[in-house]
Amino acid sequence: MTPTTDKRARASAPNPPPLRNLNDQLGRFTRRLVRPGGAQRGAGRMVAALLLAMALFTFLNPRVFLSPINLQNIAVAAPEIGIIAIAMMLVMLTGGIDLSLVAIANFSAITISTLHTAIAATNPDLANSLGFLIVLAGIVAGMLGGAFNGFLVSVVGITPILATLATMQIYNGIAIVWTGGSTLYGAPTVLGAIGQAALANVPVLFIIFVITAILVAVLVNRTALGRMIQLEGANPVAARYSAIPTRAVLMKTYTVGGMLAGLAGVLFLARNPTASADYGSSYVLLVIVIAVLGGTNPTGGFASVFGVVLATLTLQVVSSGFTAIRLSSYEYAIAQGVILIAVMILDSVMSTRTRRPHKTIPPTGVATPTSDTSLIRT
Amino acid sequence: MDLVRKLRGTNNEGVLALVLLGLIVAMSIANPTFFTLNTGFSILRSSIVPVIFALGVLIVVITGGIDVSFAAIAIFAGYSTVTFCLSAGFDPGLPGIFLIAIAVGAALGLINGVVIARFNLPTLIVTLGTQGIFFGAMYTYVGATYYADLPKSMADLATSNLFDITTDIGRAYLHVLVVPVLVLCLAVGWMLKRTMFGRSLYAIGGDIEAARRAGFQVKRTQISVYMLVGALAAIAGVIHIVLSRSANPRDLVGGELDIIAAVILGGAAIFGGRGSVTGTVLGVLLVQVIKNSLLLVGVPSAWLRTAVGVLLVVGVGIQAIAARRDARRMRVIQDLDTEQKTEQEMAS
Repeated sequence: MTPTTDKRARASAPNPPPLRNLNDQLGRFTRRLVRPGGAQRGAGRMVAALLLAMALFTFLNPRVFLSPINLQNIAVAAPEIGIIAIAMMLVMLTGGIDLSLVAIANFSAITISTLHTAIAATNPDLANSLGFLIVLAGIVAGMLGGAFNGFLVSVVGITPILATLATMQIYNGIAIVWTGGSTLYGAPTVLGAIGQAALANVPVLFIIFVITAILVAVLVNRTALGRMIQLEGANPVAARYSAIPTRAVLMKTYTVGGMLAGLAGVLFLARNPTASADYGSSYVLLVIVIAVLGGTNPTGGFASVFGVVLATLTLQVVSSGFTAIRLSSYEYAIAQGVILIAVMILDSVMSTRTRRPHKTIPPTGVATPTSDTSLIRT
Repeated sequence: MDLVRKLRGTNNEGVLALVLLGLIVAMSIANPTFFTLNTGFSILRSSIVPVIFALGVLIVVITGGIDVSFAAIAIFAGYSTVTFCLSAGFDPGLPGIFLIAIAVGAALGLINGVVIARFNLPTLIVTLGTQGIFFGAMYTYVGATYYADLPKSMADLATSNLFDITTDIGRAYLHVLVVPVLVLCLAVGWMLKRTMFGRSLYAIGGDIEAARRAGFQVKRTQISVYMLVGALAAIAGVIHIVLSRSANPRDLVGGELDIIAAVILGGAAIFGGRGSVTGTVLGVLLVQVIKNSLLLVGVPSAWLRTAVGVLLVVGVGIQAIAARRDARRMRVIQDLDTEQKTEQEMAS
């Protein structure tokens, strides 16, 4: 889309004044095309990547890859990673990063498991009937963790990467001490039921994932808070001068991030009724990979929930596809890294290509006397 | 006043040293077994690998970047060197082993550097990607076997000690590898303070665009920085294998954030332009002393992560609040003083 319009814009640039109006119009048109593309590009690109990955593995090993069990596995494994990735995307939208999300998720899972075990020890029926409340307690634990992150980032003013690096150590450390480094067993039966259930062959976990994604998308795109989060990330100084309450916005963002991580912890338990401090330690980096692949700008301001969902699915497809064609998880690690860097390089090359016309116009414009106006307008 | 400022150091090294000293004194009072040569030597021994890693991280952090792939580079370089020597069945001697590992490490660092400098990408994301690639590549193409027997030169090094002192509570060993670490610290410190290359790192970290306009070769410097980190990581990888007397491909990776935390504790600014070798070494030592003293006080070692995290929050939090107060004070001064005064200052 952009290369062809660029070519036209570049071709018409050196033309004499009568065509300049046309040039300007074309430029404006191009930019209008590019601007929404910036946010949606992640989504569009990931649709292509997802289809490509599906096609590739279907071609390589259709019997294993297209088997219902494999597809079910993808749909069951994706939600927990995907929800943490969405939380990461939300925080990245403000220009921050949250390394403590996985630790928060584990913390939430451990809270639920311990509460359940403690109550079940005296009265198993009560524990099961209180299942919903216990799950809520886990999500609240996640929210508190996120709120503490938000406090450190917004009120104390610590750089997000450092604040969450520290809280990651703290939450993880508390979890290790709490569990004594061992794995806890036991979770409300409600969760187990949810983990097993399926609506029309679609696992309920996946439906929860989709609903969460839609809610976050609404939050980001359709609410005042979402708009403020985006503006805060796009240009913090401008946001401050626009009277955006930076502290409150950051606080809410990190709290919501923590809440989503808490929800992910609930999904950990739903999939597998065990909780430990070091579950999913490889997720920390994986989640950043997913968020960036999904079109999230790590410096803030631009992200697409849809893109992140697609990126989650793509990576899951690649992961299970690698298993289907009998490649090891280490080869998957390589693929993950290569995909991440390739996408980043592609992005960088594309963005310099769309920027170049602006740089080349001035020299051609200098020759004509009315160049100043055109420079201002372009 | 000047003396206080000098003792405090440009990056609060003095404060850190005071904290470290206070901790050591408190621990010695709480538990007399802490203040012994054994403990001191074992803390030094356990600091060897983290200090080398931290030096590499420090260099990157000063330029305003961050590298999370160094542990993967370290184990890749160290492990593949050992694998090569064992499978080829020859022992190139210590210099040879270090040379091979450093070459491998620098080559991997070159990949990081080229991708980051050429395409101007966020360093955290790139090194996250290369971390996966290096680690995966090691397992897939080099191997995943655990080697309990090292080449002879490495095995010999593992048991050689600088000091071997018999005290009344047992024998205290100071490992010989403390010496190269000390040399590396001095070398990196000298490079940062006294060479054009070192100064250019601070310049790039302070303001990359200003550095470019001042005529620094930003891209070339960035590439060299990541190669240097790769080389340092490779040295640390080999030393780790020597100290643990076995080559385990599962080691090291996963501890990156702990090292970064220690470097930040040592006063390096995550956005670049600040940091010193003294502070970094103190940061690493502080973490190691805490680790050691927790055990002696009887606190489960599980609290270590929490302790480091709290320390990080407190340390960085105080800095952040101080920076904010300074910024506010500066604004007030600017409001009070007329522009004339600033002009006068500029003229003088």
